[in-house]
Amino acid sequence: MPASPEIRTALLESDLLDALMVPARQGEFARDSRAFVRLDTSLRAYWHTLFDICPELLSLSGPDGLAIFRPFMAWAAERQLSMNWTYYLWVHRWLQQSPFADRLSPQLTLSLMAASAARWAMGDRGPNGGIALGSAELPELVVAWKCHTVTGGREVECLSLEEPLPPPEGGFGWFTLPGFELDNFPGWSPIPQ
Amino acid sequence: MRIGFNFTLGPTLELVQQLIAERHIDYCELLIDNFLQVPPAELAAAFDCPVGFHIMFSKFLENDEATLVEMAARLRRYIEVLRPIYVSDHVARFTHEGRQLYHLAEPEYRRDYEAMRARVAWWQEQLGQRLLLENYPSIMDNGRDAPWFFQQIARDTGAGVLFDASNAVCGQRNCGVDLTEWEPVIDATNHFHVGGYNASILAPTITLDTHDRALGADTLAFLERYRDRFDRPGATLTYERDDQIEYDAIVQDLSALRQIFTPTPELRHARIA
Repeated sequence: MPASPEIRTALLESDLLDALMVPARQGEFARDSRAFVRLDTSLRAYWHTLFDICPELLSLSGPDGLAIFRPFMAWAAERQLSMNWTYYLWVHRWLQQSPFADRLSPQLTLSLMAASAARWAMGDRGPNGGIALGSAELPELVVAWKCHTVTGGREVECLSLEEPLPPPEGGFGWFTLPGFELDNFPGWSPIPQ
Repeated sequence: MRIGFNFTLGPTLELVQQLIAERHIDYCELLIDNFLQVPPAELAAAFDCPVGFHIMFSKFLENDEATLVEMAARLRRYIEVLRPIYVSDHVARFTHEGRQLYHLAEPEYRRDYEAMRARVAWWQEQLGQRLLLENYPSIMDNGRDAPWFFQQIARDTGAGVLFDASNAVCGQRNCGVDLTEWEPVIDATNHFHVGGYNASILAPTITLDTHDRALGADTLAFLERYRDRFDRPGATLTYERDDQIEYDAIVQDLSALRQIFTPTPELRHARIA
């Protein structure tokens, strides 16, 4: 569809909300319009959140990341994924059923788990201090802690336990930690959509 | 005018402490919800100056009440210990149909006014003190109703405005909201923000609030033109920088702000002959 000029009557954020996470919708607006820039600003935030944190994905997709980003975002929109801290875990899920499936490595899986755990630690505002993520395919546990000193930031660790936890069902699992010790295992929760 | 700087994460603590020690800033604005696991006394001990609180991710317009009640209880402990000059939050949409927006959306001020008014009043009550609300750096035409909204919400709830001067400049450049429309808002508050913005690389006529560079010439001109309206007893102006955090560049902008707001007693208190 050719780009159409932006309508100069009032154009509101609510006119664009459905398109803010859908790269294919950007072509509906002229490239120099506010609507196009608004969508681009939104989409860039998702792009950078993915590839700045996990640049190794670019070695799969090519330097612009679009071979992963565009189909993943369309897939996420179909499923109405929340795009919360689990963003990277759903990218992993998508990669598993994509043309890149045979190029996934344990290191990339751990990297995506670490990114999701870190995103929880940065963005969650509940009282818990940490989160642990496990994978059915890997023995390691990825743990992230919220910033709890004034000089610090969030911290992410990859742990190998002497007595491994039972593997989560359905790929990944998670549980939260009330303090800053890995001192309990309440069982795995499934990854929220 | 007291001039401050925003503190968002531990790695910039040294820089902020240097700004305090070298008297480039008079107070520090804490992005307080990034530090809700840090003991309040430890946070208080880190800053040898007054502090302001800026809340980023309460999502008070959208979050469920139980979550917000619990969060407010923790915030009140920090308010009690650190006695901030002000407590501020964001009026923005963080989700759409349950999906997280990574670049926050501006609300529809008139359509959603009643629901927003009720939530602002309720959240302010939970925090146990007056709440300041920051104006959004408009890209779309929602911004046209922003000056009306911030006056009305203040009248209806008693909340104040954390008036971001550079956000208003973004709104002027992007959707034509004349800066004069903000005059009643400026006159009614004592607390201000300012930061750098950048032209969109796709469409240079569109301005994005980026906090990654020096203050724009029109932002500085706005502050200078309205200097006497901004600069009243107890007023604060926080310089925000979230990217390209370089000490000398920050000091240069802080100095530019100091220059604008340098007291000129000889003009204001002219000698009686």
